[in-house]
Amino acid sequence: MATVALRDLRKSYANHEAIKGVTLDVEDREFVVFVGPSGCGKSTLLRMIAGLEEISAGDLLIDGKRVNDVGPAQRELAMVFQSYALYPHMTVADNMGFALKLAGVKTEERNAKVAEAARILQLEPYLQRKPGQLSGGQRQRVAIGRSIVRNPKVFLFDEPLSNLDAALRGQMRIELARLHEQLNATMIYVTHDQVEAMTMADKIVVLQAGVVEQIGSPLELYHHPRNVFVAGFMGSPRMNLLPATVTGADTNGVAISGPGGISVIVPVEPGSLRAGTKVTFGIRPEHLTVDPNGTLNGRAMIAERLGGLTLLHVELQDGTLLVVQTDGADATRLHEPVRLSISAPHAHVFGPDGLSAEHLRRNPLTV
Amino acid sequence: MKRPDWFLVALWTILVIAAALWVAPFVFILLTSLKTEAEIYATTVFALPAHPAWSNYAQAWGRGNFAATFLNSVIITCIKVPLGLLLSAMAAYALAQMRIPGRNTVFLAILFGTMIPFQVLLAPLFSLVNSLGLINTYVGVILPYIAFGVPYQVFVLRGFFRHVPKEMTEAALLDGANHLTIFWRIFLPLSLPALAALVILDFVATWNEFAMALVILQDSGRWTLPLGLMSFQGQFASAYGQLNAAIVMTVLPAAIVYLIFQRYFIGGLTAGAVKE
Repeated sequence: MATVALRDLRKSYANHEAIKGVTLDVEDREFVVFVGPSGCGKSTLLRMIAGLEEISAGDLLIDGKRVNDVGPAQRELAMVFQSYALYPHMTVADNMGFALKLAGVKTEERNAKVAEAARILQLEPYLQRKPGQLSGGQRQRVAIGRSIVRNPKVFLFDEPLSNLDAALRGQMRIELARLHEQLNATMIYVTHDQVEAMTMADKIVVLQAGVVEQIGSPLELYHHPRNVFVAGFMGSPRMNLLPATVTGADTNGVAISGPGGISVIVPVEPGSLRAGTKVTFGIRPEHLTVDPNGTLNGRAMIAERLGGLTLLHVELQDGTLLVVQTDGADATRLHEPVRLSISAPHAHVFGPDGLSAEHLRRNPLTV
Repeated sequence: MKRPDWFLVALWTILVIAAALWVAPFVFILLTSLKTEAEIYATTVFALPAHPAWSNYAQAWGRGNFAATFLNSVIITCIKVPLGLLLSAMAAYALAQMRIPGRNTVFLAILFGTMIPFQVLLAPLFSLVNSLGLINTYVGVILPYIAFGVPYQVFVLRGFFRHVPKEMTEAALLDGANHLTIFWRIFLPLSLPALAALVILDFVATWNEFAMALVILQDSGRWTLPLGLMSFQGQFASAYGQLNAAIVMTVLPAAIVYLIFQRYFIGGLTAGAVKE
């Protein structure tokens, strides 16, 4: 297996720069997920690693060797595409064995490797079928099998689950995580779905407009987002982000005054924040609670009852909307007064530059 | 009872009439080719021959020197069709799938070839082939045939190849395939329907080509079937039975190729219309 290192990697097209200098280390056997909104450059970055896009500037190292000018096949990577990209005129077995055949591997050895991959992916009954006779999930497994048989240094996945329905996506997510354990392989995975990123990654790379916004473990990104973008992008339902003003700052934290009567002392390093600084106040729906003794007054306008939990959309007195995550058994009635309290240690303060003020105490799971 | 759909009835009626009109000349030729001279003058054109006069075929074959012209046609067509198609397919692949600077300009230049009626080019073509010393040779006629066939075939195949998903090429590149392998192992098998359609069209066009062959093949020993037929017609215009037998023999191979490939041909025209 292998390490991958990106050193100030850039990709420019005629009139714009798609990747604006990405530096990243992927450790051996690590599962790294590139996540970001459409057009953030995550697929381009993956394709640059694969050798399908030229690198405009910077260095790409695989196992410490610079491979900028090495062809896709010689980089010894395997890629799984969103559209599966199976060869429609070949059987499943031929699809999986194609790379080995081209490499001149003997028939017996090839068949053994294909059989092994088919066993891991439970594709044995389908080896003689054509891709057109398989379901979406089976096709995706064939595409994964095609990469397994090559025993590559690194597996690359380009939104491999996007074409599957929700149930199958959940199932394949588990299978991929299991496969990662089983193969002990370095994997780089691209998705726009932050749930996929959170559930599978050892390390998440959040990208926006060709720039890395943050690199970290899923929980680090969740508890300690570096800036407003990451805070808003990671986590579902989305973090509540409100304009607010600093009313005081000392070693205990930063006092914040926000719309709808929000007034809270958030235990973060004040840094350059002073009374009067305009900031963004962030609080996740799960860190707001319905509480008869709460300081915020409002009315629940909409309730999304998901069974296990309920999402209340609460309108504060001045019209500010907050999303609150409560219990599935929550009995709050719509259009009647409700009081909320804020878990201050979990709140976030983002300065005028969008950067997060560091928490005085980091979440124990992210240390 | 269900009411008949008058539109469909009308459509079918028109189709049947059109088909009958279309097939009538063939029937006429076939029937005439099997009648004796006396019978041709004594019966109506669509009357069945009392005793099929197979001897018309044998006599026409011998008198028209069809053994030689048939062989010439077979040689020229069997070299030209596969070779031209292979060249076109490779060019179409490069134009559709490889990142070559100026490839659109190259494609437009190739396409421009289809816009010039070849009759205009007959005279310059003759002097070109003549200056190459290729008059009266197979090569002298095969090369221009290929040149005139390439633009149309490239146009069709490039369109077909462009619809093969880019990921398929990329997956193959990662699998260690080079462009030749991708072309040979993936694109050709995938485009069999289109290739079959082009084989039919090209075979028929090459088999029946007249003007260019007339200009370049001047020695009667190198003549192709259409030239042989023309000469036969000149000499034996009144021998209707044998003349029509000669026509049938000229047309038959093209018709057989069409019948063999026609299911692919129809498949080729509709391929890609519905996603698999």
